[in-house]
Amino acid sequence: MNIYYNSHSTFSWIRNSFLFLAFLLFPLINASCFRMRASKGGGQIGVIPPRTINPSDIALQVGYQIEPVISGLTFPTAVAFDDENNLYVIESGYSYGESFSEPKLFRVDGNKTTLIAKGTNNGPWTGITWYDGAFYVAEGGEMDGGRILKITKDGTITPLVSNLPTMGDHHTNGPVIKDGYIYFGQGSATNSAVVGTDNATFGWLLRKKGFHDIPCGDITLTGQNYTSKNVFSKDSGSKVTTGAYVPFGTSTTAGQVIKGEIPCTGSILRIPVAGGQPELVSWGFRNPFGLALSPDGRLFVTENGFDSRGSRPVWGAGDVLWEIKKGLWYGWPDFSAGKAIQGDEEFKTPGKDPVKPLLQKYPNDPPKPTAIFAVHSSSDGFDFSRNPDFGYTGEAFVAQFGDMPPGAGKVLFPVGYKIVRVNIDNGVINEFASNKGKRNGPASWLKKGGLERPVSVKFDKPGTALYVVDFGILKTDDKGSHPQTKTGIIWKITKK
Amino acid sequence: MNKPCTWVGAFAIIIFSYTLNSCSVRRGQDITQQDFVPKNKHVLNGQKVFMANCNKCHPGGGGGLGPSINGNAAPGFIKRFQMRHGLGVMPSFKKDEISKSDLHDISKFLHAWKTYR
Repeated sequence: MNIYYNSHSTFSWIRNSFLFLAFLLFPLINASCFRMRASKGGGQIGVIPPRTINPSDIALQVGYQIEPVISGLTFPTAVAFDDENNLYVIESGYSYGESFSEPKLFRVDGNKTTLIAKGTNNGPWTGITWYDGAFYVAEGGEMDGGRILKITKDGTITPLVSNLPTMGDHHTNGPVIKDGYIYFGQGSATNSAVVGTDNATFGWLLRKKGFHDIPCGDITLTGQNYTSKNVFSKDSGSKVTTGAYVPFGTSTTAGQVIKGEIPCTGSILRIPVAGGQPELVSWGFRNPFGLALSPDGRLFVTENGFDSRGSRPVWGAGDVLWEIKKGLWYGWPDFSAGKAIQGDEEFKTPGKDPVKPLLQKYPNDPPKPTAIFAVHSSSDGFDFSRNPDFGYTGEAFVAQFGDMPPGAGKVLFPVGYKIVRVNIDNGVINEFASNKGKRNGPASWLKKGGLERPVSVKFDKPGTALYVVDFGILKTDDKGSHPQTKTGIIWKITKK
Repeated sequence: MNKPCTWVGAFAIIIFSYTLNSCSVRRGQDITQQDFVPKNKHVLNGQKVFMANCNKCHPGGGGGLGPSINGNAAPGFIKRFQMRHGLGVMPSFKKDEISKSDLHDISKFLHAWKTYR
């Protein structure tokens, strides 16, 4: 009896101890789940495979089909159609990974291309639109500053505005034309308004030592400063302190006013179609990449959200679809998707300090986003369906380039690499085209022949075919980005 | 004396399994079928609230910045507990961010979504 009691008691003690331990371990394991696991981004491939093409590897919503139009392109970023519905494509001429070449505009006939125009070593060409007999192209300006170019079919290039301050992380984007104005996006110089060692990794800080973000209106700083390695010193122990909206190695003080300027970074600007001085439309963006007009004429923009990198990393910031209202400030660098990031655990990078605000007061309360995309999805170029024959009229079709860890921040599973559609009335996002299988990821990661990195989409003139611009293979690792030339493809999606 | 411990233990095992499950399952949206149509206003509202707060880390209920939740077998009250209080790197969502009724609507949406998928 005594023996039975003791063994039973011992068993109960062991059992309950185990269960109690499991209970205690639960939050620990949960907390460790993210921090202990290696990043599993879709670009984190070992050996880079050759690009293969197999439309049957792509899953589409029921009733649609996809086919390749042309392949072998080097860093294509956008397509356009002229009045006769002929297809044109631009190759960017620059990719992250410091891969420079000449940007190009081609006409596509069948599987043949004809060169229309060639730019200089100042890419990336990020977007193109056709209007009143000419092309309008956004030149990113990595070397000499952004430009908006008018290109005629005979290849004549006329800059309409030059020297835009986009030699940093993000570029001059767009454009779209509305009411006699060309609207374009101005990317921020940095991830979160503070120049850091991550910008040297990108490459530009070593070329443009004094470059930094420029606000569009006067701002008052909180005086937050960040200490980092001095990338300009041969002494590996040398440190510098850097504040917001100032050059690398420059400190700021509380109450310091930074004067606003036009042109600025992190903004939507516009110029008359004939050219002229840029005017402010709205500001407070990180990287407003895609611009498009809804069927009822409203301007929408996709914004690439914060990365978890640099001196002021911000975690868990989704990409955003915004409707643009003139004169409004949209929240960067102290808000994500309309939500303050100050001290919020939602935006605190695991293992780092909570994010502190950079601005003492805000121009206005940021508006509510139209939709919030997946963190690190790189939701980029988009277009609206206008034709009931294609379906989903009024919905935005958005290309998701995909994650770029470890530089941009860790992910547990590949994010993006697909086309999603957005109901702009309620913010609901649904997949429209993605690679088949239980695992999401780019074709090179899945070792299949489907989508790699969709960077933009465009409906043709009748609106019955959706063209997908697939940038091609871009491997990412600890050393940065490794884009692969001649791996870009244009796909075409139609209803069966 | 042992009964409370047993209940605590059972609870621990459930959420322990749930945690492991969350960390291992990766299933995205299956788009090879008809559109998802919310069957009532609660599911529709749950879908909207999910899109505004959850989708960025669990796109389409799949994995991304966070783990997949599509294959998560945990009961709804545990998921709601985690949404309200957060665990690990998952942030908590206070009542002024997601109301109690919205939390329940998210549960209804996730259930409908799982059935649809």
